[in-house]
Amino acid sequence: MSQDEKKGLLEKTSTRREFLKIGCKSIAGAAVSMTVLGFLGYSNAADVTGFPLSTGLLISDASRCTGCRRCETICTMFNDGKTDPYIARVKVGRNYNFGRDNITAAYRTNDGVFGNFMVAADTCKQCKEPACAAACPVGAIEAQEKTGTRVVNESKCVGCGACAAACPWAVITVDGETKKSKKCVLCYQCVKNCPTGSLKLIPWQEVKAAVRRHA
Amino acid sequence: MSNITGWAGKILRVNLTDGTFKAEDTLKYKDFVGGMGIGYKVMWDEVPAGTKAFDPENKIIFGAGPLTGTGAVCAGRTNITSLLASNPYNAVSDSHMGGHFSAEMKYAGWDAIIIEGKSPKPVWLKIENDKVSLEDARYLWGKGIFLTTAFVAGKMPKGAQVAAIGQAGENMVNLSVIMNNGSHSAGGHGGVMGSKNIKAIGIRGTLPVHIAADRRDWLEVDKEMMAVIGANNNHVVPSTPQPWAEYNAARSRWTATDGLTWGAANPPVNTGTCDPHDLNSVGLRTQKAVFDHGAVAEQYTVRMGGCHACPIRCHSTLHIPKLEKYGLSPNVSNTCVGYSSPGGIMIQGHSKEGEEGEGTMMSKAVGAQLADDYGVWCNYSQIGRDFKYAHESGILKKVLPQEEYDSIPWDLLEKGDPEFLVDFYRRITFKEGELSRLGEGAYWVAKAWNFGDDYWNSSSYNMWSKLGFPKHHSNETAAQVGSLINSMFNRDAQCHTHVNLTGSGLPIEIQKAVIGEVIGSPDALDAPNSYTPMNEYKAKFAKWSIIRNCLHDSLTLCNWMWPMTVSPLKERNYRGNTSLESQYFSMATGIPTTEAELDLMGERIFTLHRALTVKQMGTVDMRNEHDPICEWVYTINPDMQPFTPGTQKMDREDMQLAFTMFYKEMGWDEKTGAPTKATLIRLGLRDVAAELEKLGLLPN
Ligand code: SF4
Ligand code: SF4
Repeated sequence: MSQDEKKGLLEKTSTRREFLKIGCKSIAGAAVSMTVLGFLGYSNAADVTGFPLSTGLLISDASRCTGCRRCETICTMFNDGKTDPYIARVKVGRNYNFGRDNITAAYRTNDGVFGNFMVAADTCKQCKEPACAAACPVGAIEAQEKTGTRVVNESKCVGCGACAAACPWAVITVDGETKKSKKCVLCYQCVKNCPTGSLKLIPWQEVKAAVRRHA
Repeated sequence: MSNITGWAGKILRVNLTDGTFKAEDTLKYKDFVGGMGIGYKVMWDEVPAGTKAFDPENKIIFGAGPLTGTGAVCAGRTNITSLLASNPYNAVSDSHMGGHFSAEMKYAGWDAIIIEGKSPKPVWLKIENDKVSLEDARYLWGKGIFLTTAFVAGKMPKGAQVAAIGQAGENMVNLSVIMNNGSHSAGGHGGVMGSKNIKAIGIRGTLPVHIAADRRDWLEVDKEMMAVIGANNNHVVPSTPQPWAEYNAARSRWTATDGLTWGAANPPVNTGTCDPHDLNSVGLRTQKAVFDHGAVAEQYTVRMGGCHACPIRCHSTLHIPKLEKYGLSPNVSNTCVGYSSPGGIMIQGHSKEGEEGEGTMMSKAVGAQLADDYGVWCNYSQIGRDFKYAHESGILKKVLPQEEYDSIPWDLLEKGDPEFLVDFYRRITFKEGELSRLGEGAYWVAKAWNFGDDYWNSSSYNMWSKLGFPKHHSNETAAQVGSLINSMFNRDAQCHTHVNLTGSGLPIEIQKAVIGEVIGSPDALDAPNSYTPMNEYKAKFAKWSIIRNCLHDSLTLCNWMWPMTVSPLKERNYRGNTSLESQYFSMATGIPTTEAELDLMGERIFTLHRALTVKQMGTVDMRNEHDPICEWVYTINPDMQPFTPGTQKMDREDMQLAFTMFYKEMGWDEKTGAPTKATLIRLGLRDVAAELEKLGLLPN
């Protein structure tokens, strides 16, 4: 790994940590702010307008998530014909008991149901520069022509897991049975079925408008 | 096994005595569905009559079912079967917990875990898919459930689910629980784990649960289910007038309304009007904190919570900074009796300090957290009523040594200070002194302290059965129907099929019409407090309620929601859909099964429960030895006659007739209420019949 690559990764890691810190709180209410977009890699209006972007952005409003995990079960039933939270493109279960971080002595007040009850779904950010796509040795992760959604081309995917290792949000997983990588295709099923409206798809028009307002 | 669907296909057997594991084929139990059914079958086959709950020969079975983990709506329950120490015969019972434990069990590839023997030293069971090990738990012994869970989870990959006991279970307190996810507890079997030296089970699963059906068909049924589902306990009518609603009913758990919030969410979440067609507000319908604690709780409500794959969130999660005053976390979660039972221990009332209802909320919140960490069970709130009786009758003063009596902080109790609960639960958990006998359960306390007839015979103490359990949706719920249901188990009945309908909030005419369509006649249901004599449809209603309950605990679906007898939809004439369980079952397992065929499986499971009870009690005379109801049911409202409007009083002869009619519906002996040979054979329980015959326990 080159120095630059390493630096990039580090940046991403710290970006991610920063994001997680504010994530729960700031995305609450689903307000798209410049700060949030910044954390997703979009720093100015040109970024948003100039890149083949995905239809929108799937976010989880942590103030509304009750940890029912219907999103995980529906996601995999709809996309895979089985129920398999491990490969769900929305991931809640792993954050359920103790939040996203490691368990510490402060677990009774940290995130999770053993703490302050904050549970949030991890969602694919349809990154501006998708690390998953960059890492894929066979170029199997592509932007869909019309929507820009980053999707796995299963005919190309060799199931090596490089994408899963690269994704800073750890939301892409290789299916142990089909040996194909499974990532969010913005099918909208989780959003439609979330019993509290915690998951939302913010269309890019709104994102762009927000960016223009702020820029 | 790769083509098995619904079920994972394997059952894990753990022998604690020699530390060995075995994987067994689930399909040998397929006629018993899963969960509760597997539990009873294992108990029947493997645990000899006369075994006591804390003997190493007792076994404990954690069961999921073919629907657990599939994402079927409200399929998050774990059924635990074992002998029950608080029962005088240590007869078999189930404890159930919601949460995420059993779903994880399925994702790890297991339908059930059978635990047998006794470990030479404290251990916890670690399961990562098919990697199974027993880990040292000596350093966990003596720790509460919260910390134990954190330790165990810390030794496992992220996403692990943990079922654990607290110090109460370790100390073999009869009234102790097994708990997962911090507030989902299974009451009565904590001590069985303690007796076996097993502190916790940690599970992480990364495998799929497959279904036989096409995904589109599955998602269609999911859609139908989400259309007919109501709020908690399947209450389908809101508690206040709503723009979309034709009816409202004050006691409905559908409490959402515009302006009522999860007040401690950031920003606060408005529960809103929750039009039943809006899928994105189903989880907002039940603001359970306000239902359980009153208006004061709104500001402390972080959100609702609940079980795996359930859109109805019935646990309230509260952030109450004042809890820290008691050395507790400011964060507490629970529901219903988890909150009300500690409230009931405060027998002199609650502090009047602060806002209206705040004192009561504080008692409930303090007690809930203490009980959940120590792992103390309440015998459906009976522990508080036993305390009350012993105190008020002066018995406590007599049975407690003076020194112990004086050491009890009576001043705190009088002031309604929740600090009293800190002292109380510690004594129960660590079996400190004579007071801790309250943790043995009503039967044993009443016996040891020589409770008078007034304890059993007065309606104030809620005792349903001389076997030591209280009423739980009994004669006040559909008259003879609730009464029959309450007499059939070895602990308080946990059946909600009947009360979900009567509590639905719909006008009685609609309820009667609906149950008429399900059972055969609207006469199956009386209007509240306006009872009529027994008829065969009431017997059928009781039977249907129980066998659906048994099915739910086997599939596993939540009987606090299922069956979908009614719906909130006017355009459907408020009809629900009672075939959804069989549709789900057929699609998951690939075994085409009609509603009637599935009900027959429920009948099999329930009859096996009865056979287990006959065997353990060593008598066929269930009518006189097992089923009798405490006197107050026949003597309340002395000035009123049964079957006059305004009383829930039951008539002795009529109730005997009710038992006869019910036994008949079940195909049990009409005289004794024991399963007959013919019925056992009809249900495919030939081996059960043969063993009972050998023991002389078949009715003539
Ligand atoms: S469906 Fe909604 S409420 Fe349930 S876990 Fe997913 S994001 Fe949270
Ligand atoms: S899978 Fe990960 S890296 Fe790829 S687009 Fe989604 S969030 Fe970004």
